Amino acid sequence: MSEPLWDELAELALTRARAAGVEYADIRLLDTTTRTIHGEDRRIAHIGETSDRGFGVRVLHRGAWGFAASSILSLEEIPRVADLAVEIAKGSASLAIEKVRLAPEPVHRDRVVTSCRLDPFAVPLEEQTSLLLNTMEAIQRHPGVVRSHAGLWAQRDRKLFVSTEGSHLEFSLLAIQGDCTATAVHDGRFASRSFNTPHLRMGYELIREADFVREGARIAEQAVEKVRAPAVEPGRYDLVLDPEHLSLTMHESCGHPSELDRALGYEANYAGTSFLTPDKRGTYRYGSTHVNLVADNTEPDTLAATGYDDDGVTCQKWDIVREGIFVGYCTNREVAPKIKEERSRGSNRADSWGSVPMVRIANIGLEPGTATLDDLLADVKRGIYIEGHGSYSIDQRRYNFQFGGDAFWLVENGRRTHMLRDVVYHGITPEFWGRCDGVADRAHRRRYGFITCGKGQPGQSGWMTHAASHARFRRVDVITGQAKAEE
Amino acid sequence: MTSPITPSWPKLTSREEFGFLTDLVMSHSTGDHTFLSLRDSHGGTTRFANNQVIQNVNQRRGTLAITVAFGRQHGTATTTDFTAGAVRETLKQAERLARISPEDPEYLPPVGAQSYLLLPTARLETSAAGPARRLDYAREAIGQCKMENLNAAGTVSSTVAIVGVAADTGLSAYEERTEARFSLTVQAGEATGWSAAAHRSIDRLHVQERTLAAINKAKRGADEPQELPPGRYTVILEPAAVAGLLSWMVWMLDAKSFYKGTSPFSGKLGTRILDRRLSLVNQPDHADLLGHGFTNEGLPVIGSGWIEAGVLRQLLHDRYTAQEHHIDPLTTLESPCLSGERPLGTRVDDLIRTTQRGILVTNFWYIRPVNPSDLTLTGMTRDGTFLIENGEVTSAIRNFRFHDSPLRAFNQVDAYTTPAEAVTSETGKALVPAMRLHDFNFSSVTRF
Repeated sequence: MSEPLWDELAELALTRARAAGVEYADIRLLDTTTRTIHGEDRRIAHIGETSDRGFGVRVLHRGAWGFAASSILSLEEIPRVADLAVEIAKGSASLAIEKVRLAPEPVHRDRVVTSCRLDPFAVPLEEQTSLLLNTMEAIQRHPGVVRSHAGLWAQRDRKLFVSTEGSHLEFSLLAIQGDCTATAVHDGRFASRSFNTPHLRMGYELIREADFVREGARIAEQAVEKVRAPAVEPGRYDLVLDPEHLSLTMHESCGHPSELDRALGYEANYAGTSFLTPDKRGTYRYGSTHVNLVADNTEPDTLAATGYDDDGVTCQKWDIVREGIFVGYCTNREVAPKIKEERSRGSNRADSWGSVPMVRIANIGLEPGTATLDDLLADVKRGIYIEGHGSYSIDQRRYNFQFGGDAFWLVENGRRTHMLRDVVYHGITPEFWGRCDGVADRAHRRRYGFITCGKGQPGQSGWMTHAASHARFRRVDVITGQAKAEE
Repeated sequence: MTSPITPSWPKLTSREEFGFLTDLVMSHSTGDHTFLSLRDSHGGTTRFANNQVIQNVNQRRGTLAITVAFGRQHGTATTTDFTAGAVRETLKQAERLARISPEDPEYLPPVGAQSYLLLPTARLETSAAGPARRLDYAREAIGQCKMENLNAAGTVSSTVAIVGVAADTGLSAYEERTEARFSLTVQAGEATGWSAAAHRSIDRLHVQERTLAAINKAKRGADEPQELPPGRYTVILEPAAVAGLLSWMVWMLDAKSFYKGTSPFSGKLGTRILDRRLSLVNQPDHADLLGHGFTNEGLPVIGSGWIEAGVLRQLLHDRYTAQEHHIDPLTTLESPCLSGERPLGTRVDDLIRTTQRGILVTNFWYIRPVNPSDLTLTGMTRDGTFLIENGEVTSAIRNFRFHDSPLRAFNQVDAYTTPAEAVTSETGKALVPAMRLHDFNFSSVTRF
């Protein structure tokens, strides 16, 4: 990478900011290429490629932040935007009560390239569109299925981060994902079943290794079974949740409340605050002793494993919940000192050159236990096994949640019997995790990524991966998804 | 307002420059059809929490998307680089994608020249507003809260955008659009109060008045809230809460799903789906809504009736589905107005005064579909949930989770006000009444 022009532009911005007397400044220049292919009902509905280039200058002046960004990469635009960032910081300082103090971080000069065996942008597009068409054909061949969807997505980020502290970081990051959905109708109802690869920082090998056509046929059959399945009878059930389902549960009920900016009130007007307030750190019982939730932004191929965050801080691994006790937060350089942490956890990320970085959920995962999935099911007298993502909603302090799923099977006397429909369960976060009495072993561990995690004003999409093995939860409240059924 | 603090604002793409870009693309395109779409915007947001600015940002972003078609093969390439070389390369990439793309049986060439309503989509005071104006409003809100010893978190934003579409069919549309937003959450201990506004004109955010409303909510909720059991209750939904439910109805109105049997409205066109007193129309020319002159495809945005006296009359027809069913396409309902015959007053207080026992809901949060077949939704109450007894708010109550369908709830309507401006964090802007509904289903309670 290292286009001399980018270095030149970066230096110009930082020189301008230094001359204005800022305490700190950084610039991120980004060139993002995104390819999306979207198939719907046996046709390729969209094939597109987006090139998104620009830069953002962030300054800390008089203890307050200013940020300005532009899609015009020119020698004229750089000083205008740098000056604007400084002027904005001066405005922020006029309404400051507490000066921003950044946690120290060593100076880094590095280049990060994520791994890839097959560059998705080099794979013939004909191969990709054929795959989607064949997948949709396999789905719609099944009687009862009325709609199909299949899609591929890949993104490459070329990024340069330079700060007035001397850090100079170059990135070449890749991410990819594919998915398909079948929708079936029966008796005035409709239901969908999906398959997706995780979002990972890999190449097209991820797509080739997933057998989309076979998975398409499987989900078509299950969509038909699902729409014809009996509605769940409300009550208390033991739940066995698959890793994909747990990725969403963890994201909402552990990931977001462990963002320190939320716990400090920064998101009070939008995404909300957190029940995991700083006074609870080290003592609060979040879940049972089976619950070990670890943040790991160093695991290869995962979305948040980018070497460094957008503060220029090294990616790290740390505990969020250890044996059921809440012990750690996701932080950036601004908020870490507020709880007397000496160093940021490196979880400050922006979704583009035009967005200011903020604390983002790390790659938080549930540590494996010792059981097998069969062990977990064997000890269930009356329960439900849930796979995949469905409906989800949680209150603004992350206590009261309701989750559905993509597929549900009734478990009776240790065995999966038949599918159910309209299953949703609700609970209060620490009570729910307190009901966890078993986690499957490492062989069951799977990773799922998120690229549309909404937070901030203006809204940004966060990226992170959540890994888990299957886990069991005792006596959880299940209700039916139909409004009328409860009358 | 203080003076603008930056000497040189970026010059957004003028109509002449848009014409130049269009000519550049069309003259170099080898496609059977070529369509381009431009959005060039400039704006910023001042964000505050704990009574101080925590984020203050400004962004200028230009985006040009080019779609090329050869027969029914089409591809789209997008760039943020408006230099001639980059535009030509983007065009070539769109051509490459189109040539590789399989034929799309639903592809239709771009529409031709159109006539549009001339709407006042841009207001000078908003496009001229910069960080200083936004900061003034933030200062106003924080100052009022500080005087009451309360904690403010919120945003003030303003944006000006140039939007243009053009095609080789003679289509050409260009519009300047402005939008300003204010939202505020006031914290009084464990309680919160909220208010929000969006308008084309930054002068119409009514920051002082809305700050006072949020303060009053927070103060009213500051006493220890009582916990009521889950169940079916008479509720008074403020306009924001009504808009939250209504928006999911609007998003699910697409005709393709309707015809495929995968819509909650399947089989219901021409039948009564809401209380017979309620009607829903699109009003792009309403001064308090955020209507546009044209859609992303260049179709004119027009006033239209969607639900008349409770009966579903219209679906969102994309061009292909409309052609299949021999009707005119209608692709947007971006300026919705829900109203009812014989409203009971103009203010929420008019409903409270006439309620013996019920629950007042300020807003809903995190509304998501649970069952798309019957449009069952879930979500939480937020920023002010109160018990009403004998025509008065008597206490704050803990927040509930609801589990219900607007198709059911809007048939349990008892009374409503005249439509009012409603904005939520997850929806656009609508004019909707406050409503009193019977038997609204609260399925669980949270801890605060």
